[in-house]
Amino acid sequence: MTEEIDLSKLPPAEPYDKARDEAQRARLMKVWETPTGWRRISAVNNSSVGKWYLLTSFAFFTFAGFLALLIRAQLAVPNNDLLSQSLYNQLFTLHGTAMMFLFAVPIFEAVAILILPEILGARDLPFPRLSAFGYWCFLIGGIFVCGSVFFGVAPDGGWFMYAPLSSNPDYSGLGADIWLLGLSFIEVSSIAAAVELIVGVLKSRPPGMRLNLIPLYCWYVLVVAGMILFAFPPLIAGDLLLEMERAFDWAFFDPDRGGDPLLWQHLFWIFGHPEVYIIFLPSIALIATILPTFAGRPMVGHSWIVLSAVGVAFLSFGLWVHHMFTTGLPEISLSFFSAASEAVAVPTGIQIFCFIATMLVSKVRRSVPMLFAGGALAIFVFGGLTGVMVALVPFDWQAHDSYFVVAHLHYTLIGGMLFPLFAGVHYWYPFVTQKRMSDRLGRWSFWLMFGGFNLAFLPMHWTGVMGMPRRVWTYDVTDGWAVLNMVSTIGAFIFAAGFVVLAVNVLWPRGKAPLVERNLWNAGTMEWSAEVPDKPWGVRSIPYIHTRYPLWEQKELLGEMDRGEWFLPDAEEGKRELIITDILDARPLYVQRVGGPSYLTIGAAFCLGAVFILATFHLWTLTLLFGAGFVGFTLWWLWTGTSEIPEKPEKPAGRGLVLPTYAQGNSSPGWWAVFITMTGDMTAFMGLVFSYFFYWTALPDFLPGAAKLPGFGWLLLGLALLLAGWVTALAARERLAGGSTGQAMGLLVGGVPLAALGIGAWCWAAWSAGLDPTETSFDATVWVLILWLGLHLLLDAVMRLYVAARIWRGRCTPRYRADCVNLTLFTHFLALTAVVTFALLALFPMLMGGM
Amino acid sequence: MKSLASLALVLFLAGCEGRHNWLAGAGEEARSVETLFWVLLAGAAVIWTLVIGAATYAHRAEAKPEREQEARRFIIWGGVALPVLVVGGLLIWGLLILRDITADDGALTVRVDGERWWWRVIYDTPEGPVTTANEIRLPLGERALFRLTADDVIHSFWVPALGGKMDMIPGRETTLALTPRELGNWGGLCAEFCGGAHALMRFDAIVMEPEAFDAWLAHEAQPAQVAEGDAGFAVFDEEGCGACHTIRGTEAQGPVGPDLTHLASRDKLGAGIYDMTADNMARWITDTHEMKPDIDMPAYPGLQGERLDALVTFLMSLE
Amino acid sequence: MAGRKKIVPPGEAPRVIDQGSVWILVAAPSIWAAHFLLSYWVAAIWCAKLGRGTPLAEPRWIIAGLGVLCIAAIVGLAALAIRRYGGVFVIFEEITESSERARDRFVGHVALLLCVLSAAAIVFTVIPGMVLGQC
Repeated sequence: MTEEIDLSKLPPAEPYDKARDEAQRARLMKVWETPTGWRRISAVNNSSVGKWYLLTSFAFFTFAGFLALLIRAQLAVPNNDLLSQSLYNQLFTLHGTAMMFLFAVPIFEAVAILILPEILGARDLPFPRLSAFGYWCFLIGGIFVCGSVFFGVAPDGGWFMYAPLSSNPDYSGLGADIWLLGLSFIEVSSIAAAVELIVGVLKSRPPGMRLNLIPLYCWYVLVVAGMILFAFPPLIAGDLLLEMERAFDWAFFDPDRGGDPLLWQHLFWIFGHPEVYIIFLPSIALIATILPTFAGRPMVGHSWIVLSAVGVAFLSFGLWVHHMFTTGLPEISLSFFSAASEAVAVPTGIQIFCFIATMLVSKVRRSVPMLFAGGALAIFVFGGLTGVMVALVPFDWQAHDSYFVVAHLHYTLIGGMLFPLFAGVHYWYPFVTQKRMSDRLGRWSFWLMFGGFNLAFLPMHWTGVMGMPRRVWTYDVTDGWAVLNMVSTIGAFIFAAGFVVLAVNVLWPRGKAPLVERNLWNAGTMEWSAEVPDKPWGVRSIPYIHTRYPLWEQKELLGEMDRGEWFLPDAEEGKRELIITDILDARPLYVQRVGGPSYLTIGAAFCLGAVFILATFHLWTLTLLFGAGFVGFTLWWLWTGTSEIPEKPEKPAGRGLVLPTYAQGNSSPGWWAVFITMTGDMTAFMGLVFSYFFYWTALPDFLPGAAKLPGFGWLLLGLALLLAGWVTALAARERLAGGSTGQAMGLLVGGVPLAALGIGAWCWAAWSAGLDPTETSFDATVWVLILWLGLHLLLDAVMRLYVAARIWRGRCTPRYRADCVNLTLFTHFLALTAVVTFALLALFPMLMGGM
Repeated sequence: MKSLASLALVLFLAGCEGRHNWLAGAGEEARSVETLFWVLLAGAAVIWTLVIGAATYAHRAEAKPEREQEARRFIIWGGVALPVLVVGGLLIWGLLILRDITADDGALTVRVDGERWWWRVIYDTPEGPVTTANEIRLPLGERALFRLTADDVIHSFWVPALGGKMDMIPGRETTLALTPRELGNWGGLCAEFCGGAHALMRFDAIVMEPEAFDAWLAHEAQPAQVAEGDAGFAVFDEEGCGACHTIRGTEAQGPVGPDLTHLASRDKLGAGIYDMTADNMARWITDTHEMKPDIDMPAYPGLQGERLDALVTFLMSLE
Repeated sequence: MAGRKKIVPPGEAPRVIDQGSVWILVAAPSIWAAHFLLSYWVAAIWCAKLGRGTPLAEPRWIIAGLGVLCIAAIVGLAALAIRRYGGVFVIFEEITESSERARDRFVGHVALLLCVLSAAAIVFTVIPGMVLGQC
């Protein structure tokens, strides 16, 4: 049995010694220093990457907002010819796309990367280079998608990209490819960030921060990152199908060949509705963090807020069809989604009532962040109430795709997301810059934006009632929409003026202004423990937390941290170190070493970006070349700085605590990252499985006769080979643990041909049955399932060779074998994918044929 | 806030006009939703005022730490009990309305096929199908069942004054029942973005007395009256218009574009966007893509002078 | 010792499955999700295979029956949650103590609330089946 660590009974700290303190600070500084000059781009620390992420997201926001102003200018008067039809269609598509994919989701990641580690009293997130990689992917993909408008080839099929408008090259051009590939690329970075944040909240908490003590912000981050993990992959699956149809004419959405346009809508909205809550919850999280500070007391109903975050997360996956109420699905199907859409009002309401209750029992200090929070509440509640309306099917049959919905969605997103975010900007600005924003300008920007917003969007409900449909570039004076539209346009420009004031307030150079005092708002959460001026290391020593609001309830904490009395106060070995703790009680498990500044992530992101961009233009040779470059950079990155064998098995972490310096299996963050990534991967695969059953439900003759089915024998043989490949990975792990490195390497490499033969047998089964993916949706589905598995097996082969090479070079040993353990975990998922695919290709058709 | 409220009132009053208005009460189905709308609006106003009032009070009030238990009870009543009852009740009411306004049959069946960017309309009569385009006439007080399809991309069929909308999806047939209750020329729109000229995909929905409707339909079923050797028809024929357009009673049997048999009897040209005048007709032929960008019909800028006049005169005679 | 007490970290496995499990937090909403999807699938397949206007007799009973089963399962979970929470149905308490017991009580408390929410959501899902009689 292990001895329970009782963090409250640690030996006292050694007496303060100024010389030691200074030496430690110097060493920490050297290790955590941000590169200067142009080398700064190689930085990977969360404070640098977070800031870039934030500024880039706001740049895309400004761009998309500018598009919105053009749209409003065009609609200001009837029969306007300011914009052409084609340009208008590009602009509104890009406005929605950029706001959703390049602002709303990335800004969540940006804020979380910036403040999560600090709220957790950690020095960084567990995979800093992954954050940097995600950022560079986001930047490259975003510029690619937005830049297309300057060449007149921006996507013009709406941000929802409905097939067949988007799937048939006769109806949509290069823009659709740019959308599909550019955004798939950005989705990769979102999922990377989600993995990072989940592991961050679960494993990088400060010692002692048990589940019941986790700050609300972190609960929200955990919940939202989890939602990304289940919401984005179905869209990636949908993107894959749509791009295969566009590029290679595979029959997924073409009704003449057994495809179905509605499948895209399902896959898109299974992503698209949770997306709304992925945007909304992180901003509510900001209010949940700001409010207690200005109320000067803990949140009332902490568990209730956790309940509502988790509840909303689940319910939000039961709403997707409410975007499809007018597609002619059976009323009973619509009604389930109507029910869930109404039910989600309950947890959403609970959060708001918790906020009000907290204010009720305290004296709230007035401040600009609270002003924005109040405006957010007023706007969001209204948007929520119209949401209750449109969730009713008969009401939605009128409101759907009219300006009523435009008004509704902007009320929910601007009230639920943008205003809280601006509250956060005003609140955390001093944390990031150590300077204060002007309150005067803050109030000006608030009232301009609040007034302008309501002027623009309140009348829009009536524009909708008067029957104006969405996405129209012009209307006639006889339609009677002119006055309303003019008012909306004026409002939009006032709103924009408010944003300009805010931008000036943020970007105003404040070089000579005095630094703020430490914890100027008198907040209770850990990010305000940062010293002024701040240090790149985040916290001087990683504290022991035993309260929800440590800065209020652990009075001595700041001094103790500053004097280096808590954990990891030093960097003797010259390595960036974090403490990894357990999920439930945050007991310290081990000291994780993370990588420092690196250009490898930029190289990898650049190559991956090139792959997606070149594929858009069907330049396949170059695509492959850059694909190889991406693999090369990634392997190089992994080779240097992950699972490095420590120079000593354990080290003192301060206060008598001795922690291992290496971990493998499920106490290491790497294992969790693989597990979580593969969960997302399985979700994408489930998107394909869903497609299969969707076709089967919707089409009476989806399954072909026995002659057109892939041969059962070949499929069975293939499965046997694939499972044998999986067994080699298991055996390799066992042999390695047993000390036989040679056998382990042999088994790993030997698994590669097994897998190749297995997938080869499946290809042959499909090929010999005459399945042609351009013929019918069944054929295309079979081939895409095989393709999916094949791509994973390719990755598997690369990873096996990588691990074998690590063993060969002595970087993965019987004692330190995390690489091999993680590979095995990956192969578990692969085996599951193979078994499910086999069931779909062989068993289900047989079962149905027999019936 | 006061000015906002009065502005909203003005805008709202302005909103009662208009041929696309949901609240025009011109159809049975629209009226059901209208009732729902007013109740929801009133309810929303009350709830919004209560919530924001409570928040404002809480923000301004002095600290009352001793009332913590009360505040928590407030979460239960306001955050749980109230929403569950309100949205639960609304859900049931909404479902009941849904059950009432959906129907699988009607006194009249109209097939509408969405094309980029116009509407092919086919009335199913005992004597066989009657084809027209971009204008739908309906008899007052009789339930019409629309059977909706699309050939190319997804469109959505919507006459706001009569009732809700329904998507038209390639490969599927959807249905929508509408029961007109007011005479008039109501506006119809495509509500689902369908690329290019989506904004210019309109139609007229004209509600008539049943007898007038029957007469109209009988007329519509007749072939066109084209004089032998009509100069305009000769131009029509020479320019190959018949490859795409049908004029029943002539050899022009093209299935691609709108049926022109009774073109001039329609109110509007170009799928509900221009008045049916000779000038507009001439421009439509010569400057097609200025009139409606991106459409498949080629422009005939070379068609000028007498030949154009003859063609326009001919087309305007197709009543 | 010299202030250098060696403290061994706990075993490799974070306790997510055993008595300290956090899975109970997602269990109740997962039951809602399962009921929701099953109801949707049953109705969708029934209506797709039998056509519009088909009476919903069997699916209605399947949906309602599943609902009862799922709520029963949630009641079971709630009993578990109450036991972890401390056996008293006091819902107005902030559990801020730093101890394993408090952490476990907190998880029990949130799980209990989620059970209530999930049960209510299942009732909502059953309502359409009761109101609408045909595809």
